[in-house]
Amino acid sequence: MRTYFIKRLLEMVPTILMITLVVFIMMRSIPGDPVVAMLGDAYTQEDAERVRHDYGLDKPVVVQYLIWLGKLVQGDWGTSILSGRPVLQDVMIRLPVTFELIVLSMGVALAIAIPAGIIGALRQNTWADYTATSVAMIGVSIPEFFIGVLLLLIFSIGLGGWLPSSGWVYLPGTCPTMVCGVSLWGNLQHVLMPALALGVGRAALLTRLLRASMLEVIRTEYVTTARAKGLAEKPVVFKHALKNALIPTITVMGLQVGFLIGGAIVVETLFAMPGLGTFGIDAIIARDYQQVQGFALITAFAFVGINLLVDLTYTFLDPRIRYA
Amino acid sequence: MVKPISGGSLREAELPVSGVAWRAPAARSESPFVQGLRRLRRSMTALIGAGIVAVLLVVALFADVLAPFSPTDTDQTTTFAAPSWEHPLGTDQLGRDMLSRVIHGTRISLIVGVSSVLLALFVGVPFGMIAGYYGGQVDRLVMRVMDLILAFPIYLLAIILMVIFTPTAGLLGTMKVTGAIAIVRIPIYARLVRGSVLSIKEKEYVEACRALGVRDPWILFRHVLPNCLAPIIVTTTLGIATSIIVEATLSFLGLGTQPPTPSWGWDLKANVAFIQANMWLSLFPGLAIFVTVLGFNLFGDGLRDALDPRLK
Repeated sequence: MRTYFIKRLLEMVPTILMITLVVFIMMRSIPGDPVVAMLGDAYTQEDAERVRHDYGLDKPVVVQYLIWLGKLVQGDWGTSILSGRPVLQDVMIRLPVTFELIVLSMGVALAIAIPAGIIGALRQNTWADYTATSVAMIGVSIPEFFIGVLLLLIFSIGLGGWLPSSGWVYLPGTCPTMVCGVSLWGNLQHVLMPALALGVGRAALLTRLLRASMLEVIRTEYVTTARAKGLAEKPVVFKHALKNALIPTITVMGLQVGFLIGGAIVVETLFAMPGLGTFGIDAIIARDYQQVQGFALITAFAFVGINLLVDLTYTFLDPRIRYA
Repeated sequence: MVKPISGGSLREAELPVSGVAWRAPAARSESPFVQGLRRLRRSMTALIGAGIVAVLLVVALFADVLAPFSPTDTDQTTTFAAPSWEHPLGTDQLGRDMLSRVIHGTRISLIVGVSSVLLALFVGVPFGMIAGYYGGQVDRLVMRVMDLILAFPIYLLAIILMVIFTPTAGLLGTMKVTGAIAIVRIPIYARLVRGSVLSIKEKEYVEACRALGVRDPWILFRHVLPNCLAPIIVTTTLGIATSIIVEATLSFLGLGTQPPTPSWGWDLKANVAFIQANMWLSLFPGLAIFVTVLGFNLFGDGLRDALDPRLK
């Protein structure tokens, strides 16, 4: 197990290198460069060249990448060209916001999908099943931002401002600067709608997957055996059926991480949250090379890390799966 | 009269009337594909989905006739008009008729949704076939490139591609979005087809063709491709739904087709700022996206149940 884990960790390295390299090259192929944006309208050609030289932007792209990589190994994520702030610091400030959003939205998704998927499968072709499948169908067809807008209409406008429509209040202990709102209650108020907006779509997808694989599993012989030996329905469903049905479901959820990252960008934009999503999209649009690299790096880490987590969950769900 | 036995289930009513000797339909045997289409006709979800898609196609084709106003004409005297007989969905901050914008938005959504998937299909399928059929070095090279694209979180890639293409308005802008979405979707088809081809190429009929000296392209297109069509069709239909969501999301982030060209994602985002007083402005483009995606999802689900019972 440990050798497998180490092997997998080592396998992450080329993927992360590749993602960051491709992003590096792609960003530099965008017409125009951040130097022009930084200097504004009134600049001379010499100014621009001097600044490009200062930031090493006049070197070949591969050399620039190697320099970035060399600094990264020493823990230096570079400095933003536009804001002059260290990238790592900005990423660390924004990471907890996005982390909280994603964890809570996955919680929302599981809390809805596991009961709905089980009921759909156990009571196949009853009104409960039809309700679950119809709602799930609707759920997978609504983009996150529209769910967000509907939530805004209900909770921020319809119910007279129950929940704040934008902004952020930090969890106690995560406030990055001296001046920011900190309270548990405020944080909950701010994170609730974004987490729902992001979670509901995932829940719908999960419900459909889980129902389908539960339907397959409850028809297997070992479930019949478990019932035949007089086991109560609860352990049959949760211990025997659910654990096996979760395996294909979790695989697909792992493949969906790319969409989750997109969802986080959209939801953070809609609710004006100071998370990594808004950081990334702002950086890409402003062509802030260093910030984009930081965003690509953290995204690649999350992407590869979650896929590893998915593989490790298998061993927990199905002890027959062992990684040597 | 002898009724042919149809598709999936043998129902009493469809069995030949007793006393009449059953004869196999002489000239025409049903392929699994035709059987699938027969099942599709009985699927309620597929029919509803097909109905929604058909209506949307009509709206997109006849947008100029159906829309009461021009989607881009501004009118300073009627900004933020509430829904009325003249403007059933109200007007936006520039006084543009929202109904006309939603109707015209159908075009962008459908064009990008359908053509990005077709583009991905036309690039991905041949690559997948070649990789699966020839194997070896070719396979490794093609799939390495596909894995490279797949290794990316889809939105990170799509967003950067759109920034590289620099979003613009009109037809060119639409083509850029189509291209960006197609690129991120190519590997899906390549992988799918490669997997099917790997098993099909080992079949006896392919071997027989080769023994007869049939050329590879003929084998690939005449014998291999038709046999992996079912999953391709299902993935394509559901893929259109996904592409429409990706398009709307890019537009929402300001990276889709640029205004004044009407696009649902953009309209929704632009009007969120005024949501407090004019909720309908964000509501209707959002509903339009939802109905469109739902239509393709329902149709795709029905297709999957009909064409590929294993995937059910």
